[in-house]
Amino acid sequence: MEPGKNSASARGAIELVSVTKRFGDTVAVRNIDLKIPGGAYCCLLGPSGCGKTTILRMIAGHEDPTDGDVLIDNENVVGKAPVERGTAMMFQSYALFPHLTCRDNVAFNLKVRGVAKAERQERALEMLARVRMREFADRLPAQLSGGQQQRIALARSLITNPRVLLLDEPLSALDEFLRLQMRGELKRIQTEFGISFIHVTHTQMEAIALADMVVVMDQGRIEQADSARHVFERPRTPYVARFIGGQNVMTGKVLERRSGAVLIDTGGKQLLVSAPETLPEIGASFGIAVRRDRVRLQRSEGAPAGSTLNSIGGRVSALEYQGSWLKITIEDAGGEDFVVNEADSTFFATPVEVGDIVSASWAPEEVHYLSAASVSR
Amino acid sequence: MALVLLLFFGVPLLVVVAFSFFDYDGINTNPAFVWANYAELFGSKVTLALYLKTLYFAAIVWVITLLIGFTVSYFLVFHVRSVLWQMGLFLLCTVPFWTSNIIRMISWIPFLGRNGIFNQALMGAGITHEPLEFLLFSDFAVIVAYVHLFTLFMIVPIFNSMARIDRSLIEAARDGGSSGGRIIWEIVVPLSKTGIALGSIFVITLVMGDFFVVKVMSGSHSASVAMAMSNQIAMVQYPPAAASAVLLLIIVSLMVAAILRVVDVRKELAR
Amino acid sequence: MAGPAPAQPQFGKRPKSFYFLAGFFALFVAFLYGPMSAIYILSFQGPTGGLTFPMRGVSLHWFHALFAQERTGDFAGAFARSLLLAALVLSVTVVMSILAGMAFRRRFFGSTFVFYLAIASLIMPGILVGLGIGLTFQLFEIQTSWFTSALGAQLTWTLPFGLLIMFAVLSRFNRAFEEAGRDLGASNWQIFWLVVVPILLPGIIGVALFGFTLSYDEFPRTLLTAGAQNTLPMEIWGMTTNVTSPALYALGTVTTVVSFIAITLALGSIALIQRRRARRPAPETQSGPAA
Repeated sequence: MEPGKNSASARGAIELVSVTKRFGDTVAVRNIDLKIPGGAYCCLLGPSGCGKTTILRMIAGHEDPTDGDVLIDNENVVGKAPVERGTAMMFQSYALFPHLTCRDNVAFNLKVRGVAKAERQERALEMLARVRMREFADRLPAQLSGGQQQRIALARSLITNPRVLLLDEPLSALDEFLRLQMRGELKRIQTEFGISFIHVTHTQMEAIALADMVVVMDQGRIEQADSARHVFERPRTPYVARFIGGQNVMTGKVLERRSGAVLIDTGGKQLLVSAPETLPEIGASFGIAVRRDRVRLQRSEGAPAGSTLNSIGGRVSALEYQGSWLKITIEDAGGEDFVVNEADSTFFATPVEVGDIVSASWAPEEVHYLSAASVSR
Repeated sequence: MALVLLLFFGVPLLVVVAFSFFDYDGINTNPAFVWANYAELFGSKVTLALYLKTLYFAAIVWVITLLIGFTVSYFLVFHVRSVLWQMGLFLLCTVPFWTSNIIRMISWIPFLGRNGIFNQALMGAGITHEPLEFLLFSDFAVIVAYVHLFTLFMIVPIFNSMARIDRSLIEAARDGGSSGGRIIWEIVVPLSKTGIALGSIFVITLVMGDFFVVKVMSGSHSASVAMAMSNQIAMVQYPPAAASAVLLLIIVSLMVAAILRVVDVRKELAR
Repeated sequence: MAGPAPAQPQFGKRPKSFYFLAGFFALFVAFLYGPMSAIYILSFQGPTGGLTFPMRGVSLHWFHALFAQERTGDFAGAFARSLLLAALVLSVTVVMSILAGMAFRRRFFGSTFVFYLAIASLIMPGILVGLGIGLTFQLFEIQTSWFTSALGAQLTWTLPFGLLIMFAVLSRFNRAFEEAGRDLGASNWQIFWLVVVPILLPGIIGVALFGFTLSYDEFPRTLLTAGAQNTLPMEIWGMTTNVTSPALYALGTVTTVVSFIAITLALGSIALIQRRRARRPAPETQSGPAA
């Protein structure tokens, strides 16, 4: 799935231009540029405090950027009220009004706009039906489960007919089972309404499963904004590779250049790894990522560190059975962890145990080069 | 709100201070700036006696209300298991707060009187043969009424801070082998000290500023600073009354400041 | 009020100290309510009954005496004034506490000063406030009366209470409610009336209860500021010195009944609202197929 699969004319395209947000002395968002195509499902992903919620709130109009512009469908919306922007927000706690029934919660927007009572009741019921909550219309929020409350919150946001729906950690309050169910439900509703969803989360798998476009953030900066598949397979920086997971990240300083390879010092050991055609300078920072499931495990001691291309040796320090595969953690000569995900059939054919000396290797085409600029960080 | 408080609290306070410097010759009050009222106040032996008496009441009432307030809150917070019961019993303790203080005070009169319920009960049980005279219209009666009226002001803040104590702390201490007494002394008391301080401020300022309980319950046998002041007011001796009001104010503020020095209540209140 | 502590998980045998403390608690409650109930009972004395037990018959004689204005002063007038004044204080306290509570959520110029002013006026001995206001009115040659100076005097007592309750209530108020309101297109005014006030209603009723009862029973501040016409507590105060019949108790019973009506109304409606909002969630029904 590529971002912007819907036509360019789809509503709810968002553009952030050099947006900065400061709270007193702390900078929550640093000079960010971002384009989200209309009709996309976009996930803002990052650890807490990375600025993702601040971005969401600036798009929603609950915060104003200190600097820069927020454009929705090519129109600058800074300073405008949420309704004028055509955005609607779903809050982390849902913020359903506890004194109103589900129907009145959903009808709230119509009420403040002065829609006649009969009409707003009818339209609220219609919207409740679209999120499959019609039979709960007369209940109060406290009488609903978390998942049901979320549907009501969704209906309440959608009744404003927004171009963009903003979701702040929408699944974090739910238990595992409901989370998976609601995940599918969110995607269904987004497709049905054909509007942009911007979804803030700190869960990698949630972002990858849902999003057309994933924006990985750290410390107020965007580390990578790309399709889910690219973020997973071709992380741009060591940070993204580590945060998304599923990768072995190796970084260090270049010691020697050989044909098609470099010897790097990772700070505790030396590694000989494949290098791109234009070899990096001696002393430069260099980083690669190799997917855990593309590494082969050898049940024997490998050659001394740094002598064999694309290979690492060490001792098995942990084994985790994951059903169809095993997670094998190896502690290498430098004391760092290296993880191999091996299919269960392969593993149980010749099992290893914790404490065994093993080595791992990977094909040159599995090496993914990380952006040198950020390796040093 | 600030305006109302300034108008009916700030300004009057300044006026009291101003009046305390006015010239007063026993009949007339003239705007002036004289220290005579203060000189008279400090020159009088009665002043010292009054303050000692008031402080004596304050100290005794403080100790009793603190003990009762702490014990009752401790019981409610740590021994009552159901939240519903806890809130119910807490309300039971606080409801009298919303009823008339004067009525609650008066209700002791038939109880403690010479032919009162208490004496009748004592005599009926054969413990005493003659009614006890010291019960009503005495310092004893004053203290009983104070405790009756003001213990609530101790219970509510202590209960509030105790209810915030994390139960696991107590369980951890118990697992660590601490005895019940040590747990109370080393965990519960320090963690409820803001409540204790708040309650103490309430009780002490209430006793220090009281005049009607002393007047009624002691049968005018005893006196307090505020009561003497109210008598002066009744006799239209405003400047001396104002001077003694200022002195009382200073002393009460010092006591409150002393409590605040020991415990920082601000955090608690602003939350 | 306080956040209730969670019930203890284990329901084993209660320790000995429990029974000791429970006994202490029972004694305290008896101490609190015993004497009060005595005067309520005594107010139903027969016409020949005295100030103490035994009861000489049961009658409503003394309640009649109260309203007949024989020797009890202007009871009905004082009663009406007290109720009206309490209603006034209640309204002003509720409105100002809500506004001040909202204002205090942001630091504003002088907020610390106002806060300390409120605390100081809370712990100031009441008679000093009364004296101060009385003198001020005298200085500016304004007649003191129950609906000006006494109203002000009582506000110095009820406003700080109202403010502190609003602090407690607002500290648990989730701002997302307001943002949700704004997000859904409500104006500030609509957010206030349709979202904030209804959600805070239990706390606001609590403020109202304080405003009403504290004013209705207020004595030391009112004494010097009520002017020519008495309020009810002052009427009672007058009676303690010159009335020696159970009419005094009857008056006590009547005022307490009023207080209890106020308490019951307030606590009852709070309980009703809380129960309505906190009904147990329905069992999780799988509405809508798993996607």
